[in-house]
Amino acid sequence: MEVMKSLSDVADSKQQQEQQQQQQHFHVLAVDDSVIDRKLLERLLKGSSYKVTCVDSGDEALKYLGLIDHDDQKPTDSSSLTSPYPQQSSSEQEGSKVINLIMTDYCMPGMSGYDLLKRVKGSSWKDIPVVVMSSENVPSRINMCLEEGAEEFLLKPLQISDLKKLQPYLLKTLDQPSSSIDSSNNLVVEEIGDDDHDGQSKINEEINKGSVMNNTNASSISKRKAVTTETSDRIPKMKGLVVA
Amino acid sequence: MAGVSQLQKQFVDYKASLFQEGVLDEQFDQLQGLQDESNPNFVVEVVSLFFQDSERLLNDLTKTLNQQGVDFKKVGANVHQLKGSSSSIGAQRVQRVCIAFRNYGEEHNIEGCLKSLQLVKHEYTIVKNKLETLFKLEQQILAAGGIVPR
Repeated sequence: MEVMKSLSDVADSKQQQEQQQQQQHFHVLAVDDSVIDRKLLERLLKGSSYKVTCVDSGDEALKYLGLIDHDDQKPTDSSSLTSPYPQQSSSEQEGSKVINLIMTDYCMPGMSGYDLLKRVKGSSWKDIPVVVMSSENVPSRINMCLEEGAEEFLLKPLQISDLKKLQPYLLKTLDQPSSSIDSSNNLVVEEIGDDDHDGQSKINEEINKGSVMNNTNASSISKRKAVTTETSDRIPKMKGLVVA
Repeated sequence: MAGVSQLQKQFVDYKASLFQEGVLDEQFDQLQGLQDESNPNFVVEVVSLFFQDSERLLNDLTKTLNQQGVDFKKVGANVHQLKGSSSSIGAQRVQRVCIAFRNYGEEHNIEGCLKSLQLVKHEYTIVKNKLETLFKLEQQILAAGGIVPR
């Protein structure tokens, strides 16, 4: 299915339609060691009509991506539509399956989400957006992940509203990897305002850039909840962090 | 119809009390929001997973803390999991005890850990009983031909 890139009104609605159809084929690889969180994530994602494959560890994720040699193909609780492992050999990743987004928990036994992120970004899957999730709000951890190329860092437990933040990254994958983002995609970049006067809450400001960005990782921090911080523990402003 | 509306009121009041007591928080409402015709038993399914998982973790913690040389790393990992899952379903009081529990674990404070374990078991039992009561009320409403108020 070809994606139209015209900006005229007529083409726009058609593009929206096609994007919607494309969205229904968005495939998310979800990595979390918690069975409860996997179920939650799967429900959230399926609610947006995404296909979901759940795995319970970084190792299983790498196996699924064909980045580890495996002898026995024992499926985990991928209660989604696709089968866990590729039919072809591990060398043919891109041809065997499409993944539009990887969502991974940070704290996992064995390989952490950060380790997985590094492996993915150093592989042929490096153009796939990776979102890291954590129940802990640790600025240094967040920075580390963003610097390693994570598109987004979400706080758990995830809510329906968090899914909206994923849309730009998924839409991005509709284009060819090297192309720029269509301005009609309205890439949303979130800024953390350094403005907690009473040390109570950080306010998310959504800035609609609308301008064309060249395949940069528009990394950002997403904070749904109020973050109580000490004055010495502020999160610096992060805006459109560009990863080399 | 009087029976159904009585049950419905009971349900609403009971649920409200759980929030007031801090046993449940807004995350539980989020779960409710994910339940629909395509996922009619979503809340019960997730909560059941939580019960199973928590019991496993509490058993592991009991074993670990009663050993000669306590493996605090293991304690930390289990408490972290329990904290995460209780947070994911909105079991606020369980989650809060886990925070204190984790701190004791980091300090290698066995007494603190044992106290926390007792507390978390206590809070877990409370939330389990209360959720089971809530689900029973739902079933009663449905059996009487009513709709569960949201």
